[in-house]
Amino acid sequence: MRAIEVNQLVKQYKNGIRALDGLNLEVSCGEIFSLLGPNGAGKSSLINILTTLYKHTSGNVTVLGKDLCKEPSWIRTQIACVAQRISIDEHLSLMENMIFQSRLYKVEDAEAKKRIDALIDSFGLSQYLKYPVSSYSGGVKRRLDIAMNMVSYPKILFLDEPTVGMDIVSRKAMWEIMRKIRDDFGTTIFLTTHYLEEADQLSDTICIMKEGRELVQGTPVSLRKYIHQNMLRIGFSDKEKTEKCAKKLAQTNMLPFINVRENSIYADAGEDRKIFENVNKWLFENDVSFEAVEITQPSLEDVFLKLTGAEGGVNKWIQ
Amino acid sequence: MDTINILWRNMKWRFQNPISILLTIIQPLIWLALYSAMAGQSMRNVSGGNYTAFILPGIMVLVAMACCSSGGYLNFIMKTKGSFYRILIAPVKRSSIVLGQLLEAVLLSLIEAGILLVLSMTMSVRIASGFAGLLLILLLVFLAAFFMSGLSYAISLCLPNEAIYETIMNLIVLSIFFTSTALFPMDGISGGLKIAVMINPFTHIINSLRSLILGSSVDWQNLLLVAALFICLCLGSFALAMWRIKKETDN
Repeated sequence: MRAIEVNQLVKQYKNGIRALDGLNLEVSCGEIFSLLGPNGAGKSSLINILTTLYKHTSGNVTVLGKDLCKEPSWIRTQIACVAQRISIDEHLSLMENMIFQSRLYKVEDAEAKKRIDALIDSFGLSQYLKYPVSSYSGGVKRRLDIAMNMVSYPKILFLDEPTVGMDIVSRKAMWEIMRKIRDDFGTTIFLTTHYLEEADQLSDTICIMKEGRELVQGTPVSLRKYIHQNMLRIGFSDKEKTEKCAKKLAQTNMLPFINVRENSIYADAGEDRKIFENVNKWLFENDVSFEAVEITQPSLEDVFLKLTGAEGGVNKWIQ
Repeated sequence: MDTINILWRNMKWRFQNPISILLTIIQPLIWLALYSAMAGQSMRNVSGGNYTAFILPGIMVLVAMACCSSGGYLNFIMKTKGSFYRILIAPVKRSSIVLGQLLEAVLLSLIEAGILLVLSMTMSVRIASGFAGLLLILLLVFLAAFFMSGLSYAISLCLPNEAIYETIMNLIVLSIFFTSTALFPMDGISGGLKIAVMINPFTHIINSLRSLILGSSVDWQNLLLVAALFICLCLGSFALAMWRIKKETDN
């Protein structure tokens, strides 16, 4: 049985915006599933639908084998969601927040106490018990938010961009927590993010979406050609020089993919060092006044351009 | 159980923010202590001697309306930094969510009406209808508060921010208060104003409360009519609040 199956899902808001446009995806039980997409891709709309907050316009959604439209009440007992915005009641203490959540999910008092103790221990929250929640740092609040949502031992935990705005140390600590939830509690994690690295490091399955549709879904290994592609970056001092060089470079047919962003040319460098050497040689031979040349990891935009067939981007510069 | 859980969370907020209790009772207290003392002399003829006892019912309704407005305000706080959306996706009935919040405002209204009653005792006010009258007074305050809290809840979910909410609630509360018999008897009013006062449901609850405070016998017929009117209004405002919370998920 799949944890989540989504077929031809459409969500059109009353203002006419079509946030989801025929989306398909499958999430297996017990995995970390990352939904990767830029702002406005439809990630939050999808989470709001899957967590029963919003109704979809058309399409089919099953959660743990049950139809989302027909059995939203049962589905609510099986899931929990850590929203983008921290949802702790700051007037309650850490313990009161946990108890309040356990009562919402009808966990018996004795069982709730056991779970709360285990979660406080697992999430390293015991040292904060005696302080008011309003005095916690953002990272600790986020940990409490997740711990609170785990008190019902949900079968699926939705995390909507849980690491957005965090520094790299906090982000890595959060990754550990997510792995722990999957491994120790057997919970399926449905994660949305716009960080390529995060999806790559954490996930069993990645789905990349844009403009309400999935572009590709697979394991990080199977998506390696998109996520781990070497990108060649040539930096310039201004936009005019960048575009002039992009045009010339495109005519050489050395590069299969060219994209210009913020005074830099980005190109697919593949696995072959030869391309890097050839481009360097060409830059010097043609007396191009560039500021930097390097191999970098792709941004989401690079991945999208490649996935949406924008390899023809080279042609854009040949005029 | 869910209702109690949500009521508990809201009461915790209330008692951790005592300023919200103080702010809802301070204005009615000013009316009761200062206005009754100042206007008491000129209103002696129309109020039967004790103007504080005369305006106490209106002030109790005013305090209930202030508490209920403050209850709706809680939605804005819970939406921006609280569990509003978390509760919506929890396995909790929408009716329990609404009821938990409405009862918090009702409970606060009863506590504050009780404080006003006790304070008014020190100003020579006596409940002429006795203990039974006191229980009926609390029942009427409960109904008035429940109706108003349902309305405030629904209005708070319709509006984009707390500033607009506060302005609108002030307008509603003051309009209701001044087009009722809270400060003066019905006899001296005529024309269009009389119609406005008559169609204001709070006029009738204030009159019933007043007859329980000033009169030694209970006018059951009138009381049952007013109670029936407010039960209908309570059901209507609860339905409105339910419709509005369902709309929160109907995007």
